[in-house]
Amino acid sequence: MKYSEITIRFCGIAGDGIVASGKILAGACAKIGLHVMVNNIYSAEIRGLGKSSATIRFSTSKLYSMGDGLDLLVGMVSKESIIDLRDVKERGNVIYDTSTIGDVVEEDSLVSHITPEIQGHGLPITKLANEASGTNQGKNLVAIGAICYFYSLPPEMFVDQIKGLFTRKGERVVEINIKAFRLGYEYFKENYPLNNQFEIDKRSKPRKLTSGNDAIAKGAIDCGLKFFAGYPITPATKIMEIAAKELPKLGGWTLQMEDEIAAIGAVLGAWFAGKRAMTATSGPGLSLMSEMINLSVMAEIPTVIVNVQRGGPSTGLPTKVEQGDLNIALYGGAGDSPRVVMAPTDTEECYSGIQLAFDIAEKYQTPVIFLSDLFLGQRTETVTIKENIDRDRCTRKKPTSEQLKNFLRYQITDDGVSPLIVPGEPGAVYSTTGLEHSAKGNPNYESDVHSMMTAKRFRKFDSMVADLPTADILGDETAEIGIAGWGSTIGSILEGMEIAKKQGVKTKLIKSIMIHPQHEDSFRKFFDSCKKIIIPEMNYQGQYAALLKSRYGIKPIEIHIPAVNPVSPLKIAQKIMETNSELSQ
Amino acid sequence: MKHVIIGAGVAGITAAKTIKELDRNAEVVVIGDELFLPYKRYLLSEFLCNSIRRKELFFFPMSMLKELGIRLRNGTWVKAIDPSKKEIKLFHNEVVHYDKLLIATGGSPGLGLVLQPYKKYIHFYYSLYDTLVLKEKLPEIRKCVVFGDGVSCLDLICMLRNLGKQVTYITKGERATFALDEYNFEGELHEFLEEKGIEIITADQIVSIEESDHGYKVESIQQTMLTADIVFAWDYYKPNISCIEGSAIEKKLGILVNVKLETSQKDIYAAGDCVEIYHPGIKDYWINFGLPNALEQGKIAGKNMLGQHEEYKIQEAIVFNLMGQSLKARWWK
Ligand SMILES: Cc1cc2nc3c(=O)[nH]c(=O)nc-3n(C[C@H](O)[C@H](O)[C@H](O)COP(=O)(O)OP(=O)(O)OC[C@H]3O[C@@H](n4cnc5c(N)ncnc54)[C@H](O)[C@@H]3O)c2cc1C
Repeated sequence: MKYSEITIRFCGIAGDGIVASGKILAGACAKIGLHVMVNNIYSAEIRGLGKSSATIRFSTSKLYSMGDGLDLLVGMVSKESIIDLRDVKERGNVIYDTSTIGDVVEEDSLVSHITPEIQGHGLPITKLANEASGTNQGKNLVAIGAICYFYSLPPEMFVDQIKGLFTRKGERVVEINIKAFRLGYEYFKENYPLNNQFEIDKRSKPRKLTSGNDAIAKGAIDCGLKFFAGYPITPATKIMEIAAKELPKLGGWTLQMEDEIAAIGAVLGAWFAGKRAMTATSGPGLSLMSEMINLSVMAEIPTVIVNVQRGGPSTGLPTKVEQGDLNIALYGGAGDSPRVVMAPTDTEECYSGIQLAFDIAEKYQTPVIFLSDLFLGQRTETVTIKENIDRDRCTRKKPTSEQLKNFLRYQITDDGVSPLIVPGEPGAVYSTTGLEHSAKGNPNYESDVHSMMTAKRFRKFDSMVADLPTADILGDETAEIGIAGWGSTIGSILEGMEIAKKQGVKTKLIKSIMIHPQHEDSFRKFFDSCKKIIIPEMNYQGQYAALLKSRYGIKPIEIHIPAVNPVSPLKIAQKIMETNSELSQ
Repeated sequence: MKHVIIGAGVAGITAAKTIKELDRNAEVVVIGDELFLPYKRYLLSEFLCNSIRRKELFFFPMSMLKELGIRLRNGTWVKAIDPSKKEIKLFHNEVVHYDKLLIATGGSPGLGLVLQPYKKYIHFYYSLYDTLVLKEKLPEIRKCVVFGDGVSCLDLICMLRNLGKQVTYITKGERATFALDEYNFEGELHEFLEEKGIEIITADQIVSIEESDHGYKVESIQQTMLTADIVFAWDYYKPNISCIEGSAIEKKLGILVNVKLETSQKDIYAAGDCVEIYHPGIKDYWINFGLPNALEQGKIAGKNMLGQHEEYKIQEAIVFNLMGQSLKARWWK
């Protein structure tokens, strides 16, 4: 068979080297110049023999999602991999270990669940790993060797990857892993000589792999992040890890706090002192931060909060994806508490979007909640990020010397934005409070003052629209079916639209990193041009649909997927096809 | 009642179908090591020559298996049988229980001591997998050396020649006969093949194969040196019975069965090319080789597994299909 796109999943338990498998395979494919996307799924338990999996999709053309179905499942463990069989495509393949020790009962055997539509390929994974290393070490490399032969990928790229990944562990580890790789390769060559051809364009240049979390951390640092405070939480911890490593090199700080409330408090403090600061968390952490976010609104202290969404509510599904935090991001504050909500749709936007978040937060003295999600945050993919490095960037509205003389921290202005100083600026008194206040910043509970100040805080949101990117409209402008989406679901929507296009159905999509506020005109115009509107998202309630319905008065077809896995493009395509047949009736 | 059948060839799948047709409620699991649906080996050469399409090779489509309720587990090798526990053990250590077991593992070509070291240079022509590999290689193949015997060997050399390849056939015998009893060719088979342009080397055999820059160098006992792009060779064709090793199931060359196709162990039956049946004429066990026989045995084994008492009648010869020609052969005689 000839392939130009393949999806492979490794399934195993702790110690099987599942994440490393994904890294090696993805690294080698990226080096060949292929487009790659990797999604790791692991159990929420930190220790123990929980199941984990790494899914790697690689292609000769750009990827937007993890797609649908697997071409190959590598079951490093038997019982735990059975459930993944349902994801294997018809005529897909399974590689299983034929050398496990001890009897396996029929019900628990991966092989016994393989149907004739799928081809099972036995590989003595444990045995060959033992031949290479004397232990079980290298099992993953045995499987990767077999895959390399099975899809005729260039072995030298894999050897390079192995060297790159294991050199710091010593020469012997490198040798063992290369040997394991070769044994797997040779076993398949001898036993399954009929391999597949993956069409590689020899002129392709190597590509770089990045994750959404990496891109957020890098984007923030490149636009002047000086202080990070946080409390570890899956799936956001990686951002703190990067900040902890990189910020000190640039004279910055990372502080691990005792909880999320303290973390956002510290971040507000840093902004108050004039430094660009950020925290990163997930649903439970965002809930804890809500009162501090209100303080940011009321005291007009900028702040940037990254929320890498996971399944909720409560501790919920720590290692699964969901887009369930839109409501709390938009409305989760007591009082009239406006905040900017942004949601990047891909890894490139994680980088450029977080920089915009900082600029807006600082300029408009507002909290910005940056809603990424587990899938976008943790997946690694080949992307070309346009670097924008300016670590002294400052978008603060500074007072004129005149304004400084009688400094009004909350001066009423047309755009709602008052000049901002750093406390301690000579000649000015910076008075602030979480209580309602006068223009000077002194507590004041008069009703007209409260109305005026509330209006001022909301006015900023009208003025900022001019600084925001307009929505992107993709697909066929003449289409009658329009789709609106947000966050990482956009990738699946784009691929779903492509599937529908191949069936002759035209669609168009409106997407924006800005959830609130938005360029409302472009949305209105778009919705006016559609006969049917579809809004797919990964939550039960249809939180984005609810926002758009109340804002634009539309009556969309909603797809609510309380997700544990990224949305299937096929599911979206099916809805498009259904909608199309309704339209043509 | 769980009926487990080892081998998804003609005997195995016929037995499965027979059981399900007679008893819809019977659980039938067919375990075969090949990656495909059961197929007709005699059509492989026609498939290779593109005279038929791949789906025409199969006995029946997947939908029919589903309809019949037969569970096919392909790509799965059975490594042992434990009649005392009524269990079989698969390659990957999975243990499967059975109430009634049928062994229908067929036969396959093998190499003797001389050729064994050169196994990796030798191409077999036995399965669909071999055929698919061969199909991939064909465009680059010009010269072929074939060493072996039997009707499938004749099938192979004729097919290669028909495809315009240069074929050298090496046989241990004085003439190329392929153990055929009767055939419809005009004149003698040996001369017929030579006229077709096949080079025949008699009273000789391959003793070494070496990889060279452009294929292989083949040396024979008579010190004939040949070059080839591909080498096909086998010394014998024998029943696949490694899975009964240590099981107390009686065997000679194949698994010994009575006319009801019962083995020496209770509730275990065997059918097809892997069995030897007592032939009253020759007063010894023999392998009643060939597709029609395997088919008939599969049917009878299926019925008997359901408690019937049908007997198999020995056939003297097999009808062999050679590129549309009908030949009669008698293997292992
Ligand atoms: C190229 C070729 C052409 C032929 N042409 C003709 C012809 O024209 N006419 C004719 O009558 N005969 C012909 N034959 C012979 C005929 O195909 C066989 O006699 C017939 O297939 C035997 O059927 P069977 O079910 O016993 O075995 P098979 O069809 O060989 O099936 C047995 C199956 O069991 C599998 N198996 C073996 N061991 C195990 C194990 N331990 N675990 C799991 N699976 C196992 C094998 O891989 C195989 O798939 C031909 C054979 C070949 C190779």
